[in-house]
Parts: sequence; C-alpha cells; structure tokens
Amino acid sequence: MKLTVNGVEHDVQAPQLASLLHVLREELDLTSPKAGCQQGGCGTCTVLVDGEPRRSCLLPLAAVEGAAITTVEGLGAADELSPMQAAFDEHYAAQCGFCTSGFLLAGTALLNGSPGATREEVLEALSGHVCRCTGYVKIVRAVEAALHGEVHPERVEASFEPEETDVLIPGSPA
Amino acid sequence: MKAVGARLPRYDGVAHVTGRTTYVDDVRIRGILWTKALRSPHHHAAITRLDASKAEALPGVHAVVTHEDVPKNVYGHLEALGIPADEPLLAENDVRYKGQPIAVVAAGDEDTAREAVELIEIEYEERPAFFDIRKALDPDWPQIHQWGPVYPHFGPHNHRRVRKGNVDRAFDEADVIVEGVYRPQAIEHCPLEPQTALAVPEADGRLTIYSCTQAMYFSMGVVAAHLEWPLNKLKFVGGTVGGGFGGKVDTATETICALLALKSKQPVKWRWTREEEFLASSTRAPWHMEIADALTNDGWILGRRMLTLHDSGAYARFSPYGVTKHAFHHTGAYTIPNVHFDGYVVFTNRVPTTAMRGFGVTSVSFAVETQMNRIAEVLDLDPLQIRLKNANRIGDTTANRITLKDPSTVPVVLAAADRIGYDLPAEYRSMTSDRRSGELLPEHLVAQLGVEETSGNGGGR
Ligand code: FES
Ligand code: FES
Repeated sequence: MKLTVNGVEHDVQAPQLASLLHVLREELDLTSPKAGCQQGGCGTCTVLVDGEPRRSCLLPLAAVEGAAITTVEGLGAADELSPMQAAFDEHYAAQCGFCTSGFLLAGTALLNGSPGATREEVLEALSGHVCRCTGYVKIVRAVEAALHGEVHPERVEASFEPEETDVLIPGSPA
Repeated sequence: MKAVGARLPRYDGVAHVTGRTTYVDDVRIRGILWTKALRSPHHHAAITRLDASKAEALPGVHAVVTHEDVPKNVYGHLEALGIPADEPLLAENDVRYKGQPIAVVAAGDEDTAREAVELIEIEYEERPAFFDIRKALDPDWPQIHQWGPVYPHFGPHNHRRVRKGNVDRAFDEADVIVEGVYRPQAIEHCPLEPQTALAVPEADGRLTIYSCTQAMYFSMGVVAAHLEWPLNKLKFVGGTVGGGFGGKVDTATETICALLALKSKQPVKWRWTREEEFLASSTRAPWHMEIADALTNDGWILGRRMLTLHDSGAYARFSPYGVTKHAFHHTGAYTIPNVHFDGYVVFTNRVPTTAMRGFGVTSVSFAVETQMNRIAEVLDLDPLQIRLKNANRIGDTTANRITLKDPSTVPVVLAAADRIGYDLPAEYRSMTSDRRSGELLPEHLVAQLGVEETSGNGGGR
C-alpha cells in the first residue's frame, strides 16, 4: 500500500489492520509519534492526516490509504523550526518531551485552520492531550504565542526577568 | 549561581520540538524481540501449578523465563543497607498482588508473545486478600507476608519511632487537645512514557541495557544482583526519561529484558501497555495518619502524639526509607518540644508502593498543615499567626535532634502572606528566624534550645 508521509511516498508492507502508529514507528522508523497508551486516551501518537490531527494508534492503515500524513519530523529541522516548534522551545512547553509531538501537531493544525482562535478554542484543540509534567500553562502560552505571531525563532537568551503568572481558566484561583 | 532565577534555553529543547529526543522505545536495533508477561489475576493466591512448555513450543517464541531462570530471584531494594530481601522478580510459590509478574515471553512480535502467554498453564488456590491497613495488628490478620503484618526491621523495633521530651507531661498540662485523622490515598505516577527497557547482548558477552530509569546506577545494581553478575558486564544507556515522578526509581523492566536477551541471545524490548502501568506499576502509597496535639489556649503546641500506618503493598521495596523520612518531618516546619511518633510499614495485597515527589514527606506535610488549620479553628486563632508563633527558628531542635541553623518557616510564611495580601499584626510582620527570646521563648521551649554557635564555622546566618 502507498502511504505519503512528510511529502515522501512509501510502499508499506504491514497488514491493512496494523495501526498507523505501528507502521510509522516500526516500518518507517519515524519515532516522533509515541505509544503513550495505544487506546486513544493520551494524544502522544497524534499525526496530521490531510492536515487534521488524528490519533495514529486508533487508525488502521487501510483507513489512511491515499492520505497525506505529517509527523513532527515533517515540521521543521533544528535550524529552521516552524513557528509552533519555536514557540514551544521559547516558552518551555516541553519538559520531559514525551507528549510534545502530539501537542505540536494539534497546535499546528489550529494555526493552519483557525489562526484567530480564542483561548477557549485553544483549550478545546488541546483537550484530550495529556501532559503529566508541565501543568499545561506553558503549552497554552506557546500555542497562543504562535497564533499571535509572537515567536522569536532565535533561541531564548539568558535573562533574569521574573515570569508573569497566568490564569488559564477565568475565575480559577491564580 | 548565575543560572538561579535566569531564563536559560533548555539543553534538550530543540531535540524535543523536532521529535529527535531518543527515548528507550525510539532506539533502533535490528531484529528485536517483544515481551509480554503472565500476570496474576488474583490479589492473593498460592500457585499450585506452572507449566510453560506449550508457550515455549509456539513458533515465533524465542524465550520464556520463570522464577527458575533467575539466578537470584528474591531481591530487596534496600539490601545494600542491610535490610533482607523479600520480593521475587517473578512469582514462585504465591502471588500477593493483582498484576504481579509470574512468567515472561519474548517473541518476534507482540501478538505472538501475547498468544504464548495464554498458552502458559497455571493453577491457583485463591487466598483471602488484605487491604485495610488499620486492621494490620488485628489477631485475624490473614497471613500475607513472611515477616508478618508489618515490616519488622527498624533496629530492635517493628516500627519507626521518634521520642523526645516528656509527652505525657505536655498532655497533662495542655489546655486543649486537638486530634485529626488524615488519609491521603494512592496516586499512579502516570508518566506518558510507559515503563520500557531494551537489552542487547553484545559479542563480548556483556549486555547493553537501554533504560528509562530515574536512577541509572541503582537499576544497574539491581540487574547485576539478580543476574549475579559483576557490574562491569553491564552497560546502561539512559538519562532520557519520558516522565517519572518517582515511579521509575523501582527497576521494573530491565532485569526481565536482560534475562530474556541472555536466554534468546537476541535484543529484547519490553514496553508496558497503559493497562499494565495502571495495574502493576508502583504507586504513591496510601497513608493513615493520626495526630493528637497538646495545646495552650494561646496557640502554643506543647506536645504531639502521632501514629502513622503506611501501605507498603505486597513487598517492602523503599517503604521503610519513606517512613523514616516521614518520621523526621512529622512536626512539619514547627518546633514541638515533646513528641511521641510511631510509624508502621504495613503489608497489604496492593501493588507495592514507592517514591513519588517528596517520598514520605508530602503525606505528612498534608497532615501537619491541615492539622495547623484545624488547631486555629478549634482555638479560634489566626492560622498564619499560629504558624509563625510555632515556626522553626535558629537554635531550635527538631524531633530527631538536629539543631537548626537556617530554618525558613518564618520568611516563607511571611512571603506567602504578602503574596495573598494577608493582614498580620506588626509584631508578626516583623518576625525573623532569629534565635528565640522574650515572648517567643516560653517556658516549654527553653530546654529544647540547642547550644549557641560560638565559632565562625559556617553555622548561624
Ligand atoms: S497512544 Fe494514541 S492516544 Fe495514546
Ligand atoms: S512534557 Fe512530560 S508529559 Fe508533557
């Protein structure tokens, strides 16, 4: 079966019912999608299927025939980060990094589809993605920075400024 | 110290956002085998029959390992500290928690490994299970651990104790006694990266082990102990952890991969499913804490009696260490001159519990701080003023007899008050950590004061 991933067409051998996650990781050696739960619950396996964020652990290969798949390997290399990648780096949105691929792709789909998204729409787009490390504040901040075009692609310079505290959900205690 | 308080780029930031960080599961080695485990479906049972021959015979299966294949099957995480071993790597005569591993299979793919696990023939004789730590010392406690209901090796005692001052007198002299019971429950660490290891047999007879452990040298020691190998035959590769929070201190997968790799002579990976994480990975312990405080009407804590029951799960692992830390912190950030603390490590048929973010201390901090608020409520006093009054100060002696040189209770409480705009009277606002005197040195706190520092040896402020 033919599968286009990050613009490259592959001839894959796996059976039709193999999960897309398994094919990407084990057959194509694209390891940015992670097997966090393999049951649709965590979002670490998220890839873009024709631009839409999808859980690759739940997608049988047969369901994506002819589709264009994007993984984080297809976003931007180290010296030419995409705005979403640069924002995640700048805002410390990746701590252990295991959830990061999924959040990056969910954020990228939002940036491409509705760059004017509100806070609520951002939270909606990221919901269902679990991060156990960051507490989400920095992830939301990074996605919004990318949406607002406030990304500084050069790496963060050392600075001694204290950070602003942020309230994610209106009405919650600061 | 220039980095403190600075915003510095993460050294691994670019690797994370480009998907290039190599977690164990991302290591690419040709021809790896995949592992699946037979785990106990019972909380507590005797194993009356175990026969893995049909699994071994299944095409595609390269190795099956049971307790018989482990050179040193029973190992204790605290053996290096002289504490005897109690936990088998793979269950032998009995299973003591649901999800306990009994046998493991390495096969060319996960489906075959799973199929092989189902071919293992096993019979159990179910036994009564025990979960309520409050009943550990009841006469009808069902025998679940060879050491009895509680961990027995705290020196001459079967519990960790702290004794200081004269607690009976404190309770006799008290105006009011305030009691509280605190029971924080188990928490699964739930890192996004499940437990994963990959063991690769090398041509020179050594093993390379890719590990998600939080404690490389510790895990190396555990694997070497089970294999009865010298450390120099093991090479550990790690340091990239997809979230741990304490749950990746216990060595969960490395030894099994090592044994399967040695038996099959092929690289072997074991990546737990999320279900296995929730079923069989260690958790933060549930605790049962009872506090009784002897108080004066104006808010001094004269004495504390405390009983802690710590749910260790089926085996000891690090629990005795956790309870010891817990004991040292049982007066919190406050100075209480008369204390009587007993802490028990109780065995149950839960999955063994372990470190999680402030091992043993988070639980006692929760209890102590909630107790402080309760005291304030009963005495109708201000909760922050009570904290400042009883706060640790320079020269105070802790329950385990450390004389404090640089306690931080006062500045922390004052900073917290500032941040929430909390009103405090001037005499509290101007408090410091300085050695007690005047009104802050009541009769009951005189004897506990440590000796004044006389030379400039780095002590004091
Ligand atoms: S691995 Fe697909 S949602 Fe968790
Ligand atoms: S950064 Fe560790 S889970 Fe999100």
